[in-house]
Amino acid sequence: MALRTPVRAETPAGGRTARRDRRPRPSAAGARIWTWLTLPGTVWMSVFFIASLLLVAAISFGTTDELGDPRFGTNLGNLKALADPAYRDVMVRSLGYALLTSVICLLIAYPVAYAVALHAGRFKNALIAAIVVPFFANYLVRMYGWSVLLADDGPVLRVLRAVGLAGAHTKILNTGFGVIAGLVYGFVVFMIIPLYAAMERMDTSLIEAGRDLYGGPLRTFLFVTVPATRQGAGAGVVLVFLPAMGDFVSAQFMGGPNQIMIGNLIQDKFFEGQNWPLGSALTMALMAVLLIAMFGYLRRARKDEAEATR
Amino acid sequence: MSDHLPQRSQLSRRSLLRAGGLGVLGLGLAGCGFSQPATASPAQTDKPIDVKVDGPLVYFNWADYIDPSVFAGFQKEYGVKIVQSNFDSMPGMVAKLDAGNKYDVIFPSAKYAQRLAQAGRLRAIDHTKLRNAELVFGSYPYFEDPWYDPKSAHTVPFTMYKTGIGWRRDKLGALTGSWQDLWDAQSSGTTFLLDDEDEVLGMAALKLGLDPNTSAQGDLDRITSLLHTLRPNLRGFSSDDYNNLLDGTATMTQAWSGDMVCVLNQAKDATLYGFEVAKEGSPINSDCFAIPADAEHPGTAMLFIDYLLRPENAIKTIQYLGYPMPVHGTESTYAGLVKQLPQCMIEPGDLKPSLYFRNPTAAGAQARDTAWTDVKAG
Repeated sequence: MALRTPVRAETPAGGRTARRDRRPRPSAAGARIWTWLTLPGTVWMSVFFIASLLLVAAISFGTTDELGDPRFGTNLGNLKALADPAYRDVMVRSLGYALLTSVICLLIAYPVAYAVALHAGRFKNALIAAIVVPFFANYLVRMYGWSVLLADDGPVLRVLRAVGLAGAHTKILNTGFGVIAGLVYGFVVFMIIPLYAAMERMDTSLIEAGRDLYGGPLRTFLFVTVPATRQGAGAGVVLVFLPAMGDFVSAQFMGGPNQIMIGNLIQDKFFEGQNWPLGSALTMALMAVLLIAMFGYLRRARKDEAEATR
Repeated sequence: MSDHLPQRSQLSRRSLLRAGGLGVLGLGLAGCGFSQPATASPAQTDKPIDVKVDGPLVYFNWADYIDPSVFAGFQKEYGVKIVQSNFDSMPGMVAKLDAGNKYDVIFPSAKYAQRLAQAGRLRAIDHTKLRNAELVFGSYPYFEDPWYDPKSAHTVPFTMYKTGIGWRRDKLGALTGSWQDLWDAQSSGTTFLLDDEDEVLGMAALKLGLDPNTSAQGDLDRITSLLHTLRPNLRGFSSDDYNNLLDGTATMTQAWSGDMVCVLNQAKDATLYGFEVAKEGSPINSDCFAIPADAEHPGTAMLFIDYLLRPENAIKTIQYLGYPMPVHGTESTYAGLVKQLPQCMIEPGDLKPSLYFRNPTAAGAQARDTAWTDVKAG
């Protein structure tokens, strides 16, 4: 009871809007400067993102000539080709892998971010650096390295066999486990960083309050820490899910014939397959799936924000 | 001017749309670049090349294809610099050329040499101007008039290879010399196919007695159903054939003959490995030297090609790369390299046009690609 009163006093109904109104209104001249400052970014995004996106959309209606070069057209064949069950199956598999990757990343990142943000003391920055720095090395190169380490006669399995933890036929490469492990390894940092930021910002007196109300460590974590940081978790899930869904590197190096992902098929169309129009159509389909997922997330995030400001 | 600016601190939807318009402009520009790749007139491509140093050599090839000491020797002898750049796939090479990059010497495969030559993208090469051309065309008459470039008018052959099966003798024993070996139950779970549309469809076609380049729907259906019987045995599709063999991940893999030389060179015990070509037919291929139509230093490029054809330099390249070159006087060197795996040798009689991968029509390419997706994605 004693705790609650001051908290309430700090956020009276309408307190937020009142504070907002106090902010000085930008002058017209000031506003113009901000508009100009967005110009380089807008031009950059228009030329390199929106234009290439439109180009991909246009080519998905195209055809290829005898040289294998794409030609613009009004051909619906590529979109029809997407009905091939092979694409649907691979798309569903990629969705499953990306979801599983996001969940595993969450499970790994929560304790890591929690420990670093709340209990690392003066080692905080060093630990964050230790997490981030390996990711400066190219993902492709790192995955290639893993494929060498995890090969059947590679060092990892040799050691595991020597100590009796792996049988003669234990495999890591070219399995679903390998692909998901690769995805988790590749993208877990995108989960740790937003969660770490959310925990850094979190008011630790909330945890104390939870303890005061007789919550055990686990209950406090589940009912206080997790809800208080769910926006960070949401951002992390988006940051992991999107690249994991379109990834082709992990399946290429760690997967077998039954782990092929949609990214591998798209890559094939643009390279050996010499079928840019179909590759573009696949890209559009993948983007549609991702947009639907993003839309769900944004709605949820907006609802959260509305609740937070109420 | 400033009156027309929106008086808001945030971008309005309209200004975003306007920015989108910019994007469409970019699209139009990009579109021009790609629907009309620069083609040179025959007069330009047929113009004889003056064989003399006319600037630095801009070299464009796969990475690590030529012994650095050969580059150094050329630079020293002709007092000219070599500017190197690399591609990572044939389509990637064409894309760079289409984008207007200028190179003096490129190394297309037979299939891509035909495409580029037919599109007027290659300079004519007069073999009489190359001192060492006789070593090639005199001993390998096939290249006097190959299918991909009539009379070799725009190309000089560079390396040759065939596709067979590489395997671990210690794990599988002897094989039978047929593509059927890939279905061997002993290697099930450690069998790889190359991650290559032509090679996989071609292998199945040859096993069925069909044309490896077929794009007839009936043939493709038979090919895909045959390959579906192999899929349960497969561990993967991978073009990293020699590393898969070396690190024990593969006990059997479809493999390129030249890559087996890497296995022999890097293996602790080279006797563990075997390589066979199939009696049903093994695909054969060759890469070549070519000079793009818009090359700025074709004279230096001619000197470079001639330099690489000198037997002493060809021998260095062969030892470095592991693939044989059709240059007279280098055969015994290659035979020595592959003494352990004699089936890697390529005899002039092996160069059969029917075993080369060729360019299908646009519709044929799509049919083959659909079949490949079916095989790969299961």
